[in-house]
Amino acid sequence: MGKPQYHTDIVKSFVNWSLVWGVVAVLVGVIVSFQMVNPDLNYPPYFTFGRLRPIHTNAGIYGWGVGTIFAMFLYMAQRLCKTPLWSLGLAKFQLWLFNITIAASAVTLLLGYSSTLEYHEMEWPIDIMIVVLWVTFSINIIMTIIKRKEEQMYISLWYMMAAIIGIAILFTVNALAVPVSAFKSYSIFAGTNSANVQWWFGHNAVAMALTAPPLAMFYYFLPKTTGVPIYSHRLSIISFWSLIFMYLWTGAHHLLWTPVPDWIQTLAMAFSIMLIAPSWGSVINGYLSMKGQWHQMRDNYLVKFLILGITFYGLQTLQGPMQAIRSFSAFIHYTDWVPGHIHMGTMGWVSLVSVAGIYFLLPRIYGREVYSIPLANLHFWLVVIGQLIWSTSMWIAGVLQAGMWNAMNADGSLTYTFTETMVEMYPYWWIRAIGGIIYLIGILVFIYNVYMTVQKGKEPAPKLLEVEGRA
Amino acid sequence: MDMASILYLGVTFGLFIIFVLIVRNTYRRRNKEEKEAPKYRMMNDD
Repeated sequence: MGKPQYHTDIVKSFVNWSLVWGVVAVLVGVIVSFQMVNPDLNYPPYFTFGRLRPIHTNAGIYGWGVGTIFAMFLYMAQRLCKTPLWSLGLAKFQLWLFNITIAASAVTLLLGYSSTLEYHEMEWPIDIMIVVLWVTFSINIIMTIIKRKEEQMYISLWYMMAAIIGIAILFTVNALAVPVSAFKSYSIFAGTNSANVQWWFGHNAVAMALTAPPLAMFYYFLPKTTGVPIYSHRLSIISFWSLIFMYLWTGAHHLLWTPVPDWIQTLAMAFSIMLIAPSWGSVINGYLSMKGQWHQMRDNYLVKFLILGITFYGLQTLQGPMQAIRSFSAFIHYTDWVPGHIHMGTMGWVSLVSVAGIYFLLPRIYGREVYSIPLANLHFWLVVIGQLIWSTSMWIAGVLQAGMWNAMNADGSLTYTFTETMVEMYPYWWIRAIGGIIYLIGILVFIYNVYMTVQKGKEPAPKLLEVEGRA
Repeated sequence: MDMASILYLGVTFGLFIIFVLIVRNTYRRRNKEEKEAPKYRMMNDD
């Protein structure tokens, strides 16, 4: 039987566009971090924190994150199923629709159109575009899986299917709204139901967009990079099903101490704690897959990205459940601790694994060796240091902020005014902005390396394609 | 606790039973080779 002819041009296009949106996300993130320390940098009505912040989050999650998911899924599905994509035409349509949707989202958010639902700010016409986009993508991947030449599915395919189905359900339910004009709609849910559905969506968007797909990539690229299979496929299956079983109940931990029924809060808290088990199942599987291969942390830059990525995932999935405990939540919720937590996930876990995937793909889709491994190592250190500065400054700021909010005088009055607590945050916001700049420089080094690989990279030796990443 | 809450917990329990069956099937000794096979086959998919 001949070797299948895989489609690589479409993967190339998705990689390129996800990089474009990734730069936009980080750049806007740095701008809004400076708007926090210097309010004069807000230029109403368009270039204000309120309008730029959702552009930062949506460009990051949907442009960079989902764009990379598209690229990686289209690449991995073909190989894991040992068959070309079901429809190249559909994938090309998906590419155009993806970019039009992200651009339309950015423009409408800048113009001030917003549903006001966090991570789901786009108004109903764009919601429809997103549904069409996702259905297009889903049909192509599912049909490719159906016509696969491999009877048993590798764990990455399970995570891919979970992401496809999960995002479809979450997004559609949270998007249910009654349009009242071309750019305004109101959710069909009201009161605590609205809050509950919103955070069922919000938290599980993290599960299905920022956990399941990077795990699919991690399980695929780690063994490909080290040249050694994962430690246990069975452990990965159990981790997968327990993650799927537990994750969808945890959204209400965003609503502790609110009018949402107490038993729902308790259920969410309990499932959040239980979620440590499947998360660490994958972390331990990753670490044990490195048995006898730890030297590759020194001489293989891709392993560094992947292992640091899974380590951030492990830390993230310990910190998250701790935050879901009522008493701890009462202290840190609404403080700057929380952005520190989420950015460890996005800048650490998701981006490190996605970047490793892109470096791995470059020789395979462009037929050229990565231009500079020293630059890749520089990129690694810049983003890790930038991320650590970013998150650590926010954790310290959050604890300080919570302490000041809770401080009381002997007569029961508050010790500090809200403005006083804000003033105390300025040094930490400066540190965060600097961390963001370091991270942005790392991303620009990465883009330069990718550009030079495409322009001037050498043709890869056959051995390089077998085990990628050795320095 | 109202009917909705009982139904919510009932669905949870049902899913838990399914999960236990998946664990049992995955870790059955006789299924070991079959369940571990994909990790070797994926190494040669290029």
